[in-house]
Amino acid sequence: MSASISIKNITKRYDSVTVLDDINLHIEDGEFVVFLGPSGCGKSTLLRMIAGLESITEGSIDIGEKRIDTLPPGQRGVAMVFQSYALYPHMTTRQNMAFGLENVKVAQDEIDRRVNDAAKILEIDHLLDRKPGRLSGGQRQRVAIGRAIVKEPKAFLFDEPLSNLDAALRGRTRLELAQLHQRLGSTMIFVTHDQVEAMTLADRIVIMHNQKIEQIGTPMEIYQYPASRFVAEFVGSPPMSMLPINSIENTPDGVTVEVSGAGKVVTAIVLPPEFNATNAVIGIRAEDTAVVAAEEDGLDLTIKVIERLGDRTLLYGTLIDGTDLIAEDSGRSKVKAGDMVRVSISPQAAHIFDGDGLAYHSQMEV
Amino acid sequence: MAESYRRSRWTNGLFVVPYLSVFLTLLVFPLGWGIWLSLNKVDLFGGERFIGLKNYARVLSDPIFGQAVKNTLIFVGVSVPTLVILGLFLALALNKTSKGSSFLRGLFFASSILSVTIVTLIWRIVFIPNDGLMSLIFEFFGWQPIGFLSTTGWSLFSVGVATVWWCIGLPMMLFLAALQQIPKDLYEAAALDNASRWRVLTRITLPSIKSTIMLVAIIQVVMQFQLFGQAQLMTNGGPAGSSRPIVMYIYEVGFLRWDIGMGAAASQILFLIILCAAMLQYWVSTRKEEVDA
Amino acid sequence: MKAFNYSPEHLTSNRRLFWIAAVLGVIMMAPVAWIIGLSLKDNAELLRGTEAVFNMPYTLVNYANILESSSVFGWFMNSMIVAVGQTFGVLLLSSLAGYAFARLEFPFRKTLFIIVLFGLAVPEQAVIIARHQMFNWFDLHNTHIGLILPNLSSAFGVFLMTQFFRAIPKEIDEAAMLDNTSTFRIFWKVLLPLTLPAQATLGIFTFLQAWNDYWWPLISATKSDMYTLTIGIASSQTNFAQSEGLGFLGAQAVFASLPVVIVYIFFQRHIVTAVSGGAVK
Repeated sequence: MSASISIKNITKRYDSVTVLDDINLHIEDGEFVVFLGPSGCGKSTLLRMIAGLESITEGSIDIGEKRIDTLPPGQRGVAMVFQSYALYPHMTTRQNMAFGLENVKVAQDEIDRRVNDAAKILEIDHLLDRKPGRLSGGQRQRVAIGRAIVKEPKAFLFDEPLSNLDAALRGRTRLELAQLHQRLGSTMIFVTHDQVEAMTLADRIVIMHNQKIEQIGTPMEIYQYPASRFVAEFVGSPPMSMLPINSIENTPDGVTVEVSGAGKVVTAIVLPPEFNATNAVIGIRAEDTAVVAAEEDGLDLTIKVIERLGDRTLLYGTLIDGTDLIAEDSGRSKVKAGDMVRVSISPQAAHIFDGDGLAYHSQMEV
Repeated sequence: MAESYRRSRWTNGLFVVPYLSVFLTLLVFPLGWGIWLSLNKVDLFGGERFIGLKNYARVLSDPIFGQAVKNTLIFVGVSVPTLVILGLFLALALNKTSKGSSFLRGLFFASSILSVTIVTLIWRIVFIPNDGLMSLIFEFFGWQPIGFLSTTGWSLFSVGVATVWWCIGLPMMLFLAALQQIPKDLYEAAALDNASRWRVLTRITLPSIKSTIMLVAIIQVVMQFQLFGQAQLMTNGGPAGSSRPIVMYIYEVGFLRWDIGMGAAASQILFLIILCAAMLQYWVSTRKEEVDA
Repeated sequence: MKAFNYSPEHLTSNRRLFWIAAVLGVIMMAPVAWIIGLSLKDNAELLRGTEAVFNMPYTLVNYANILESSSVFGWFMNSMIVAVGQTFGVLLLSSLAGYAFARLEFPFRKTLFIIVLFGLAVPEQAVIIARHQMFNWFDLHNTHIGLILPNLSSAFGVFLMTQFFRAIPKEIDEAAMLDNTSTFRIFWKVLLPLTLPAQATLGIFTFLQAWNDYWWPLISATKSDMYTLTIGIASSQTNFAQSEGLGFLGAQAVFASLPVVIVYIFFQRHIVTAVSGGAVK
């Protein structure tokens, strides 16, 4: 039933404004792909183009072996769950789920079978005769998913479906979606700006920025080997600290960089000879730092704010030259605001970004 | 070519065809035809003869038309401010959730749903000499009785009273709708700022509904320029044409004297006046949106 | 010490203003009470002096006379046919056009909508003479259809329905499109049911307008058996300078207002939405 999706050279323009610029993407049959990016990056537009709710200016979209960008939305074999759910307010849950099947003249007993099966999976069998107005947000969400399931689509499209739920429900629904994907094995595309949703749900994440795809990869690839400075800063909480590089010194194990006036950082990164250090930065995640004794190598950090998260402590501070750095200490850290501590950085975990934002990583496994 | 969502298709236009055909035959065509008629000498039993702007010249040089314009301008000039101020007052007084306010709101709007025939019937009976409610009241206070509908000077006034009584509901409702749109937290902030009721009214409430006040005034100007039924039924324009409005002039020329060309010319002149007022309304309402954005 | 009790109306409501408004309300109702009083009195008694209104006895004889008078009942039926016909016509045309203007793409959509909006600015006077001639050509005067047709061209309904269709979230019809629903089925099965409150608002508003219309029936319905109630009552008013039949006239006024008053009492909210919805948003 389910199928792969191929997006080839898709461009979208409104008059002179380019919304999506030459997008290429292949999604495997049964894969769960998340489009992640800040608002306005074009991720929802791309999803709506697959659904047929936005026209495409150039390029083509295939589902399975079939080109579908020439078909109206209803004939593409996709189902969509909207952010606002978009349930038909005047129809009961059962009618909502059956409506699309009635439109294509599916036999009544088949409709009943599919609606009842989906209702059972989603545990909404007791809500089948209620109208959306009498359902809670979480229940509406399930009905919306149920309406998608009964169509047995080639692909499911989710447009920020969790953003209208409260935090607790969002976490639970996330888990249920993951289970649903395992159970159905269908191709699913999920749009979100929430990186936790992306990291937990996705087989692969597509990071979008400035009308383009910035990086495609598994959650761990995105996190550990961000392809660009944008990805590095967008994914991860707290965000990766970026320290300006003054000079670079090559060693056999990688480069040692001089961070503007604040000291040296040893890395395991091997830079190509043509590397241009102008505006280059070194990126460090908080969890790759450690507070060490004053005699050891490292950078001196003056602590401004401390966030105690229980299992760990985040230290927000500035280096001697005024650059901000976020470091991490154990949950029982004794550091107070105003202290100066020495922070060491794990050589394998640092990233270097050149002036254009292109990333260089350590060759070794972390 | 990508064929997809919300694509432009001429078949979608079929949905507007029923309305548009009525719109074209019963509004657009008569509008053009009316302009054409106004340029012709029209014989009632067929046949038009093009005479250019002569009908307009006849209308504009007709002293009866001049009097009708004067009457209409006086009527608009007095009734519109009365409707706006009274409507605003009622809206401010009744902008509450209490049952009494809601009842009074319903009461003040109720007269608007009556037809002009009923309204004038009521007021004619009230204004009848000797036996009318007014003469009873005047008698009670020992005042000299007035022929409200038959005296020059009073007749247009009486038509105005009936009109305000009939039309007060709409301005009040529009003002109430505007008052409801003022965010409650503005008043909470004002309460914390120690503002007096008067300052709240003049510094918060009135400025917030400024554009609605303009809008209501213009709607009323457009409506009151079209005064017809009240004058025709209450005074028949009299005495001596002292309460004849422009629309009644059109009616008399076009449908009683059957001078269709001249009637059409008079109606185009009125249309022009009203169009100016409507343009003003459009200008005000679009300007309001800019402020909101 | 008593705690200060803040009410949301603390700074905007004023008892004195309210009572002034209440007094105005009584003045407003006085003519109506007067008419109702007259309608309940015997005409002969009123002829001796209308002060009789304030005293017993009261009678329903005037209302009985109305029901016996075949012309009033005929006018009532004419008004009903015209008002109901116009209401359904306006709802049908406005809903179809409003849906298309709000939701569909077709050539010249924007231009057409602007032209229709300009129609809002055309007063009846500007077209009435030409319309009267046109209806002459087709022999439509003194027919129900001739009374119903002109106001179907009113742009107000189209404008209002377009607004209402726009207010429905776009995702609803997008979901329907993904459900393989045809354009007409989206209109008929998905969106139209959602506009029911709007239909009620526009319908009631149109009904009242049609019921109260004066100008067009005045010149189109010239035979007394084709009069609407509005015109019929106007025609029977013309000869009552003296107080002959005041009670009967009063009863006519009350009787003719009954339908709209009933509609008003039950649907006040819809009427207010219709009149204020377009202007203040």
